[in-house]
Amino acid sequence: MTIDRLSGTVLLVLAGFIAFETRVLPLGTHKVPGPAYLPLLLASILGVLGILLIFVKAKSPPLRSLKWPEGLHAAAIVACCFFATFFIEVLGYRVTMLIVLGFLFGVVERMKIWWALGLTFALTFGSFWIFNNMLKVILPQGGLGI
Amino acid sequence: MKKRFSMMALAGMLAIGLFCPALPFADTYPSRPIQIIVPFPPGGVADLVARPVAAGLEKQLKQPVAVVNKPGAAGAVGMQSAAVSKPDGYTLLSALVSISVIPEVDELFGRPKTYKREDFAPIALLSADPMIVVVKKESPFKSMADIAAEAKRRPGEIMYSSSGIYGATHVPTEMWAHAAGVKMRHIPTPGGGPALTALLGGHVDILFSVPIIAYGQIKSGDLRPLAVTSDKRLAAFPDVPTLKELGYDVEYYIWCGLFAPQATPKEALKVLREAVRQVVGTSEFKNAMEKMKTPIDYRDADDFQKFWDADAERLIKVIRVIGKVQ
Amino acid sequence: MAETIQNLMLGFSTAFSPGNFFYAIMGCLIGTMVGVLPGVGPLAGISLLLPSTFGLNPTAGLILLAGVFYGAMYGGSTTSILMRIPGEAASVMTCIDGYAMAQKGRAGPALAIAAIGSYIAGTASVIGLMFLAPPLARFALGFGPPEYFALLALGLLVLGYMTGGSMIKNLAMIILGLLFGMIGIDHMSGYFRFSYGIVALGDGIGVVPVAVGLFGIAEILATAGNPFRPDILKPKLKDLLPSRQEFRDSMFPIGRGTILGFLIGIIPGSAHIISTFMSYAVERRLSKHPEKFGKGAIEGVAGPESANNAASCGALVPMLALGVPTGPVPAVLLAALMIHGINPGPLFIKEQPTIFWGLIASMYLGNFVLLLLNLPLVGIFINFLRIPYRVLYPMILMFCVIGVYAVNTSFVDVGIMSFMGLLGYILRKFNFETAPVVLGVVLAPIIEMSLRQALAMSNGSYAIFYQRPVSAIFLVGALLMILLALKPLIRKGMDWKWREQLSKADENE
Repeated sequence: MTIDRLSGTVLLVLAGFIAFETRVLPLGTHKVPGPAYLPLLLASILGVLGILLIFVKAKSPPLRSLKWPEGLHAAAIVACCFFATFFIEVLGYRVTMLIVLGFLFGVVERMKIWWALGLTFALTFGSFWIFNNMLKVILPQGGLGI
Repeated sequence: MKKRFSMMALAGMLAIGLFCPALPFADTYPSRPIQIIVPFPPGGVADLVARPVAAGLEKQLKQPVAVVNKPGAAGAVGMQSAAVSKPDGYTLLSALVSISVIPEVDELFGRPKTYKREDFAPIALLSADPMIVVVKKESPFKSMADIAAEAKRRPGEIMYSSSGIYGATHVPTEMWAHAAGVKMRHIPTPGGGPALTALLGGHVDILFSVPIIAYGQIKSGDLRPLAVTSDKRLAAFPDVPTLKELGYDVEYYIWCGLFAPQATPKEALKVLREAVRQVVGTSEFKNAMEKMKTPIDYRDADDFQKFWDADAERLIKVIRVIGKVQ
Repeated sequence: MAETIQNLMLGFSTAFSPGNFFYAIMGCLIGTMVGVLPGVGPLAGISLLLPSTFGLNPTAGLILLAGVFYGAMYGGSTTSILMRIPGEAASVMTCIDGYAMAQKGRAGPALAIAAIGSYIAGTASVIGLMFLAPPLARFALGFGPPEYFALLALGLLVLGYMTGGSMIKNLAMIILGLLFGMIGIDHMSGYFRFSYGIVALGDGIGVVPVAVGLFGIAEILATAGNPFRPDILKPKLKDLLPSRQEFRDSMFPIGRGTILGFLIGIIPGSAHIISTFMSYAVERRLSKHPEKFGKGAIEGVAGPESANNAASCGALVPMLALGVPTGPVPAVLLAALMIHGINPGPLFIKEQPTIFWGLIASMYLGNFVLLLLNLPLVGIFINFLRIPYRVLYPMILMFCVIGVYAVNTSFVDVGIMSFMGLLGYILRKFNFETAPVVLGVVLAPIIEMSLRQALAMSNGSYAIFYQRPVSAIFLVGALLMILLALKPLIRKGMDWKWREQLSKADENE
């Protein structure tokens, strides 16, 4: 199982999923394409490309050679991003950022506690002041009014 | 022991300090900044009307009033977020006539309604611009009767552009086509600007446009106005007849009004209504609207509700007639 | 000509008046800052400043907003080169070779060439705007749906040459991008596609969260915690300026980028980002060393950056000459004028010469000021790279979140950015290019809408594409590109046959 074969399979599956999802939309005809027409066309091409990737003979490194040295770090950052997504309006910008930055500086990067706290507070409140008050970019204040 | 107590006291004070602004010490409304959501990108009609209103309200209510743009899905995104926002009087909505249309289109497509008209309490109607029918100066059409005759001769051949399907320019065009008993071909574009560009480039034949967008072209003679969709003639275009004068029973306004979520407390609504009444009378507001060539049509909440209901009835009928396009 | 000089004098006197000059500088400064901030582009900046212009006279207001507009194009390259995060969506292409140059210690020259190229492009386009505005605008109006579709089809083919790597993979990424771009409301029929009841997806996913996510967040994901951090070489003073060779290499790309960008910019409805992609692809195609692209070719920075600035100036042409908005930013500029009671239309230039020529003159000024501003700032910005990455990347994350949220005041955009970040990281691991995805997202709505509009106009007949001259030209060009692409394959095939005949002849002997 090489990298390319896996990619090709994923693309094929994705193409199938998209084609399936377009079933509720009217297809239309060649002369009057409906909302499903182009997505279905593109999904078919994607499927073909996926198949090509699976069977093309070009050398591709085997799956086992994929290294993820930064994997855990990346996972933590992604978790922070999604946390920010779901909580930025619920908790407000400042609280969310305090949590995210505090987590990144303190836990993930393991900085000294005073440095981490200092940077977290400075960046959070500093950025809020610059954007919300000076530049008038409305950042959410959350349910607690913070 | 002492250290821990002082740390807790410090923490407690910090907490109070952070949470303080939310405690309702002040009972009178408004005691905090107010947000007006505009569900369209900046520069559109709802935005241009909301800004002078916000400026005026800020003076009246002595609290900052900010305009927040939440564009998306022809206004549905911003309107939905206003419908579900906290009904404490600090989030308002500046919406166009499409507020009546979107739930109806949702029903047409059989999907759950993004919001309902009943989710909003009207505060005031601010402006009611009609649409103006324009063709290029080189066009052979000199009157609406010309277009109707040509459309009868070649059904489905005359092309019109619009700012989007079921949008503010599509609906009045279909209303007229229905009244005149003709069929025309619809070329949707992503907005009012592209619709005008399509007409200017000669790719379509006619357009029902917002007057201010076409104003410059009309004054320079590049576009010829044929009719307006209001009850009375427009002051800016006194020579242009209304569709009603020409014998078509069509009345349509791209109106802009201020709303609040339905559950907003009555006292807050009263304060807002009075403030808006004051703002509309100020010379700054009148000047601002005059510069934008948008006639002020102010109606207080009760009148507005009547107007809104009657208007929505008309539009819902038209949407059902248009039906699904594919 | 004499009249133009006279008008220009009028313009300069307007532009140099203390108030207007001040606002021009302010606009450029704010524009640069807005451009540097990831995600927040000129549209957001202009919308924020719009209320402040109510109190100003229309000339000053327009000068201020226009300054933000083209200033943002200068600033956008900074984060692209230094941190591989697009400062605004159109700077995506600069990320690729610009960052590669930064990693080789040539960040200074990259930033300098970006500034110089932007200046040359900006100034040249203002000259174009000055002389050619009305006729160009009318030409641009003639671009209808069939022409659009043919142009973009040609563009997609040109972009097959855009990045190295396997054609299959690039094509798959473009298609993935196109499919992402089809999420949302279908403007022709009113159906919602792939939006799963989330209203915010109803408008589609927008290029800003996609670009910031695929490039910015993905970059952080790949680099933070990576034990093999490349050493950022401490730049010396002479390393801050481009070498003579680099200057020479950049001149033609700058020229080509300017022309390409300006032409694409005047077409109503096209996005600036298309001009940067096309410029990159053209440079790669014309270069004698295409394999350098992606690894730090200065042409890959000079071309797109110039195209970017030229396109933003070109976008003003139809707006000023005819009063027609060509995109969201000119629409806001028009609104700013309307608020002051001025209705831009075909008579704008005649009726408001002070404003028009004042704007032109201030654009010359603005470009020059930005050049002076950005060159010394190169040294300052380089020092950002010295901050240890473990401190830098959370800051970058914070700015990305603010930037993306601020565009539409929507947390859904932040979610899209996060998802795209994860996707970009995985794609990198699996050896896929991410730039084509961004292009697909931008092109999808335009290309699909143009096709269906064109067919609606012609009542279903495909003949409209070759009946109209401009569209026919583009389609012929597309055909030529396909043939050119197949040429090496055909030649290889012929080569192979010829060799087989030779070996057969050998055998027979």
